[in-house]
Amino acid sequence: MILKGKNSFVAPAFATILALAATVGAMKAQAEDAPQTQQKSDRPNILLIVADDMGYSDLGSYGGEINTPVLDKLAQRGVRFTDFYVSPTCSVTRAMLLSGTDNHVAGLGNMAELIAPNQIGKPGYEGVLNKRVVSVASLLRDNGYHTYMAGKWHLGLEPDQIPRARGFERDFSTLVGGGSHFDDAWNVEWQIPKMPYTEDGKPVGKLPEDFYSTKAYTDKIIQFIEQGRGDGNPFFAYLSYTAPHGPLHLPDDWLRRYKNRYDEGWDAIRQQRLARMRELGIVDKGVNVADRLYFLPRSSALTPAVRVIQGRKMELYAGMVEYMDDQIGRVFDYLKAIGEYDNTVIIFISDNGAEGNDLRAMVAGQVGSMGFLHAMNSFAEDAHNSLGRKGTYAEYGPAWAQVSMVPFRLFKGWTAEGGIRSPLIVSGPGVRGAGDINKEAILHVMDIVPTVLELAGIEHPTTYKGREIAPVQGKSWVGMLAGRTQSPRTSDDWLGWELFNNRAIRQGDWKISALYRPFGTGDWQLFNLADDPGEQFDLSDQFPRKKQELVAIWDEYAERNGVIIGDRSPFEQARKGLPDPVSEFDGYPPLRGLEALPYEKLIELMSGKPEVK
Amino acid sequence: MTKPRNRSMRLLVGIAVAAILLSFGNPATAVDDGARAYWKARDGTHLVSVQYLFLDLQATDTQMFDPSQFIFPNAHAEAKLFLASYAEHFTLFDRPSSIAFNFIGGSVDVNIDTNFAPSQFLPTGVRRGASFSQSATGFGDPSVALDVNLFGTPPLISTVDLMNYEPTWTIDAAVLFGVPFGQYDDDRLVNMGLNRIFGRIALPMKYHIGPFAAGYMTSFELTPSVWLFDNNDDFLGQNLENDPLWQLEAHVTHDFTRDFYGSLDLLYRRGFQSKINGVEVGSELEIGNLGLTLNYQVTDNFVIRAGYSTNVFGDSGLDNSVVRLQLVYGWHRLMQNMKKLQGH
Repeated sequence: MILKGKNSFVAPAFATILALAATVGAMKAQAEDAPQTQQKSDRPNILLIVADDMGYSDLGSYGGEINTPVLDKLAQRGVRFTDFYVSPTCSVTRAMLLSGTDNHVAGLGNMAELIAPNQIGKPGYEGVLNKRVVSVASLLRDNGYHTYMAGKWHLGLEPDQIPRARGFERDFSTLVGGGSHFDDAWNVEWQIPKMPYTEDGKPVGKLPEDFYSTKAYTDKIIQFIEQGRGDGNPFFAYLSYTAPHGPLHLPDDWLRRYKNRYDEGWDAIRQQRLARMRELGIVDKGVNVADRLYFLPRSSALTPAVRVIQGRKMELYAGMVEYMDDQIGRVFDYLKAIGEYDNTVIIFISDNGAEGNDLRAMVAGQVGSMGFLHAMNSFAEDAHNSLGRKGTYAEYGPAWAQVSMVPFRLFKGWTAEGGIRSPLIVSGPGVRGAGDINKEAILHVMDIVPTVLELAGIEHPTTYKGREIAPVQGKSWVGMLAGRTQSPRTSDDWLGWELFNNRAIRQGDWKISALYRPFGTGDWQLFNLADDPGEQFDLSDQFPRKKQELVAIWDEYAERNGVIIGDRSPFEQARKGLPDPVSEFDGYPPLRGLEALPYEKLIELMSGKPEVK
Repeated sequence: MTKPRNRSMRLLVGIAVAAILLSFGNPATAVDDGARAYWKARDGTHLVSVQYLFLDLQATDTQMFDPSQFIFPNAHAEAKLFLASYAEHFTLFDRPSSIAFNFIGGSVDVNIDTNFAPSQFLPTGVRRGASFSQSATGFGDPSVALDVNLFGTPPLISTVDLMNYEPTWTIDAAVLFGVPFGQYDDDRLVNMGLNRIFGRIALPMKYHIGPFAAGYMTSFELTPSVWLFDNNDDFLGQNLENDPLWQLEAHVTHDFTRDFYGSLDLLYRRGFQSKINGVEVGSELEIGNLGLTLNYQVTDNFVIRAGYSTNVFGDSGLDNSVVRLQLVYGWHRLMQNMKKLQGH
């Protein structure tokens, strides 16, 4: 189903692109170090913007209350997609994003930081973007595109693994997964205490004192485009923000942008988002939000002060999202100023579900560990009013992550919808249906490579620099964007996931999922996402044959991609690491039923002064 | 001639002592308010403070009082004072406010070197060169101080209010009222009380820099104020008047750690021209002290503060120093109850 926007249009450049694609379709990729310079200024620029750990429902155009006018406007100009999939974690997604093939093929069968002993050294588990794939940047550069990157790489640290070596002619990158957004640049991993940055392939020394990641990446991408635009060649710009990945950091003047906005608590915000999503048409009217995770308290049971403490973290997160939106606006303004905006295909995604795990605790480790020592040196400050500043490490936790992932269940790291569903906005020449919401297409991050290559008129090679290259598994969206089809996939097509031994297959509206306890049963469960996007009702007993079919597809997926179930997983002991369940029996919490009372009245009741009637 | 001479000398010494006491010996006027004195706590917070003050003043020449009228003998005063205060924070007209009750006690010793006194002003029975000293022990004049925020601080009633409190500029209005309940003997030159009502009007201002979180806080504080004194109609049988004493107090405070902050303190005072029976005596006072305060939060409830200041400008002939050791215990009902619950 396509929800039509108010101002559909056919981009005039689209016909040109298709014609161009036909004529240069046989073009082969060239050697990485010998870029061709072809004067094909009629090919579109491509701006690929990736948010880091941003949730599905955070943008205003997806139902969020966060102020994101730039991306909302982009959504009105382009098309939003409701069923776009990524991987449960960032580097895994990025491997697929740049290679167009499954993570188990591209080298990120598991995250390098969390690889299981039996996966070490196995093909597809290199922990970096391996040489079985070629990055889309290499192919674009070889075919006359300028290729720029600013932001997070997370696909390898060695000289032959960094952005410069994988096709980006200009880059300003942090090579690791996350850390301080300021100039102190502490890395989340103690093994590499400072985040390594590169610029044009060379290590960056000390960052400027006023460094703030989101602004710095924006500045650089604009600088690269400006410096390279003289020859008229199109560009591929990969703007890979590290926002709003934790630690939640903001410049001082943005710290209180959402002051007290979230004091009402996560339950209320979830319901508000769901209502807006229904209104916008992101979800159907009958869709409900997934249950609050069993160990999380209802926010109304928290004291107002605790709600303020918890709300402050969401305030920071929202501030980071809005700041990013603001900076994206700078890029758009620049493109308009140089007359390239209308010739630029813009793709906006997030790399995985919102972060609900306690990464800070994982990083800080146990007292006496190196992680703890690193935390003491880098981010020990945690006073309420100092959160968000340099030296602090705030995360917003599972309750707010569930808000970001309304209406889905769970969050980053898990193959439930809350871990793998992402917003997707595509806009620019060749994109038909301004303001539409496409709820029909089931899309995957692997699709971006074939889409971009088709837009640029480039064929994905079978070999590259003498080595065999794994084929692209994604499907191009160009036909869909042009309005010829509603989806690049048929009802028989399927998508598969595996990370940390959590697994899933989606085919049509059906999904099987196997998650560690306590979020799953450890075995396959069957869900119908059309009726139950929150994956609340296991239909295994009602539809055993469907489940069997999907399990067989999983076997095919695992076989095709060389999946190795790890003998260790960070989630295998998840149950032990989670807080105890919050009691839900009648009479708990003690003030149940009185939540609607004003705070002062509650205090009066608690003090026993007036008679309780 | 003896009587007038003696009265003159007594007046002379009395004026010196009065100046010493008013400037340094009285509980209200003895020292500055202190760093972070006007920071607001939650409505319902109680504070008990005990201070030990050691004040030392040495007048080395005649600069303090005009030599054309009287020869001022070298005087040395030493005061050991205990100042106890109880303060409570509350909300007044929807503004965060506090009220404090101050009680003083201790002893003051004054020594006059009669070598410098002209012979006609020597007290009866006192030979040139003989030392003249007098002491006082007991309670000084109690006072009550009210402070109301005018700008920059919302009411701090609930925990939520407190958590959202992140001041930048704040301006208060503060008044102090002292009553002459302290020890006073009109036959003695040295007393603990002033024998007159006195008061102060102040406009405390502060600016907070950086995060309002322990370990990060930095502030600049400025408190202009004026002290006003009623007449003492029994000052050795005479009527003593004093002009207002203008005061400017400033602090730059900074957190070194979560529990430890320091402050650079400035106290400047000018005015306080004395008149005996309507006739000006001596010149007005001008003293500027610079000091340092260190504050350590021992527990959630308990604070130790130590400070030292000395005059660095103004009347150079009037050396003084103040050493302060202060213990503060504060509590709030919810904080105490939370501890009880945590104990379980």
